Amino acid sequence: MVDVTVEHDDARTGADGAGGYLITADGVDKVFSTRAGDVHAVRDVSLSVRHGETLGLVGESGSGKSTMARLMMGLMPPTSGTITFDGVDLSAVHGREMRRLRARMQMVFQNPYGSLLPHYSVSANVAEPLRLHKRGDKESRRKRAIELLTMVGVNPRFADHYPRQFSGGQQQRVAIARALALEPKLLMCDEPTSSLDVSIQAQVLALLDELRTSLGLTLVFISHNLAVVERFADRVAVMCLGQVVEIAPTEVLFDSPRHPYTQQLLAAVLPVTKDPLPAPATPWQPRAEVLPLREVAPGHFVREA
Amino acid sequence: MSPSLEVEGLRTEFGLRDRVLRVVDDVSFTVEPGQALAIVGESGSGKSVAMRSVMRLLPKTGRIAGGQARLGGTDLLALSERQMRKVRGRDIGMVFQNAMEALNPTLTLERQLTEHLKWHGICDHAEAKRRAVETLGDVGIPEPEKRIRTYPFQLSGGMRQRAMIAMAMVTQPSVLIADEPTTAVDVTVQRQLLDLLAELKARGTGIIMITHDLGVARYFCDDAMVMYAGRVVEHGPIRRLLSRPAHPYTTGLFESTLEVGARQRALLPIPGSPPDLAYRPTGCAFHPRCGRAEERCGREEQPLLPWPGHGEVDLLHAGAGPERNAERREVACWKAVEHG
Ligand SMILES: Nc1ncnc2c1ncn2[C@@H]1O[C@H](COP(=O)(O)OP(=O)(O)OP(=O)(O)O)[C@@H](O)[C@H]1O
Ligand SMILES: Nc1ncnc2c1ncn2[C@@H]1O[C@H](COP(=O)(O)OP(=O)(O)O)[C@@H](O)[C@H]1O
Ligand code: SF4
Ligand SMILES: [Mg+2]
Ligand SMILES: [Mg+2]
Repeated sequence: MVDVTVEHDDARTGADGAGGYLITADGVDKVFSTRAGDVHAVRDVSLSVRHGETLGLVGESGSGKSTMARLMMGLMPPTSGTITFDGVDLSAVHGREMRRLRARMQMVFQNPYGSLLPHYSVSANVAEPLRLHKRGDKESRRKRAIELLTMVGVNPRFADHYPRQFSGGQQQRVAIARALALEPKLLMCDEPTSSLDVSIQAQVLALLDELRTSLGLTLVFISHNLAVVERFADRVAVMCLGQVVEIAPTEVLFDSPRHPYTQQLLAAVLPVTKDPLPAPATPWQPRAEVLPLREVAPGHFVREA
Repeated sequence: MSPSLEVEGLRTEFGLRDRVLRVVDDVSFTVEPGQALAIVGESGSGKSVAMRSVMRLLPKTGRIAGGQARLGGTDLLALSERQMRKVRGRDIGMVFQNAMEALNPTLTLERQLTEHLKWHGICDHAEAKRRAVETLGDVGIPEPEKRIRTYPFQLSGGMRQRAMIAMAMVTQPSVLIADEPTTAVDVTVQRQLLDLLAELKARGTGIIMITHDLGVARYFCDDAMVMYAGRVVEHGPIRRLLSRPAHPYTTGLFESTLEVGARQRALLPIPGSPPDLAYRPTGCAFHPRCGRAEERCGREEQPLLPWPGHGEVDLLHAGAGPERNAERREVACWKAVEHG
């Protein structure tokens, strides 16, 4: 295999020709200013997600995954770099145009209850984005909400119940139904199953899997549960200290991780059945400076360590 | 050496408008100094309420209807709220499931950690500050002297969880109750936190860990207790429980767990969902979801009985007689008791 150094702005992870990407981050940085000084949350991140693809985003806690998600959703501006959604530079759109774009990207959070309106029935919760975007009238919105609830497996008999009357798994289904109300292209999932039981988690994953096929959704899937990411993502990006340190097709990443942080991460997984328990991994000391990303095999990018 | 925590026959009820809901029913367990107990079970099975009962932190509608929780010679359930306030945080630490619940959003980490130490009269301000920075560093918050001046919302989800663990550890309690303490962090940080908790354990703290992650339970805990619909359905040494689950529910949890490197393995989720306690199924509460259920399961309550360990191969204690191991396992399923 020939090592090819690429300029970072070309390192869009296995380019498959122009026009294949729904969302692209190019050389993105984000700095937060706090009382305690500046926090450089995201450094020089370039990522692209193809239409219909599921990109897994894993890595160190505090490495900037949720910040990346908020940046890609246009919920805050990057300090530098650009985010392009469906060919449109997010920094160039405002007002109505921005609202129109936002409707096409929706987010699913870790804590379903916190993301639902407690004083609205679940059907009103699902219809709320339609109301905000002035779609249809009250009756048609309710009808659509009920269709959506049915689609995610919530019995429409419970359409007038309040979120707290549902279990966590059911609440997450409601949150997914609401996220789908405006027929988005992109679903940004930030730890969508980590507050759920293993049994319910399996059910929610099956639902997301079915929806991405039937609706042709593009997914960004942030999770600390590597077993879930291994099953669910087409490609995986690994973040550490605000940087993407490795991107590869899922099987490649799990079978032959190249970056020391990725290796360390995979070595820290605690097995349920396999023996013996892994030995403590030798800690890799991350470095703050931004080193170049290289393509070590087609579609497999690794940052120098 | 720290005292052990002995919980016996714990019952907790919630008063609803028109009826009383028993959500923890006859739960007993012991945590020895330096030992760790895992509590597993789907949400709603009563894990958090059981622990909040021991901490005496139930919401107003909740009531402890029976049982004891002895720490050393003291029954915590009989203490006044004033006495309990001294025990809480000092003798028993708690890491809550929801980080935002334990951390005050309007105070910096510094205020919260130092006030906590000063309130229990553990040390003066200067020492409290030093210990607080040290503990934040221990739980892996980068640049702790700087980050201690920030507010909870300025931290990532995993950092908040770590700050909360720091807060529970800073007093070196006799018993630490940790409710899903590592769900929001990556596996390397998870490992660091578990190793840190293991140090606390080695110094004699008894730990109760509520977790969905059987890998974490296996790595960290000595014993496991499986709860379903408010009751204990299986109890025993964790390694043995995982190498051969006795209760069909434990088997179900085990089979619905995903594991890295097992892309091919079929997922076998437990069908259905946990019961609404207001409509607790008769007999064995698990019977509507159990693949092994028979007619009598819906009729007869299932007490927790010693499990004879039918044909159980004990890889870890080969040589130790099966009787010794059998003594330590209990299961609430007649079929498991009779046939394995
Ligand atoms: N509003 C904010 N103000 C200041 N700092 C922030 C803010 N939001 C995030 N940060 C900082 O940015 C960094 C990245 O945070 P982010 O939430 O993106 O991490 P994450 O990868 O999602 O972590 P986790 O896996 O723990 O959720 C952290 O250092 C965090 O403290
Ligand atoms: N404040 C409350 N009022 C009424 N019921 C409650 C309250 N808190 C918890 N419960 C009920 O108690 C049961 C056990 O809850 P919990 O201990 O939180 O479960 P777990 O921690 O195992 O997920 C559930 O049926 C839940 O609905
Ligand atoms: S008692 Fe019957 S229903 Fe309950 S776990 Fe055993 S076999 Fe299943
Ligand atoms: Mg996050
Ligand atoms: Mg709980």
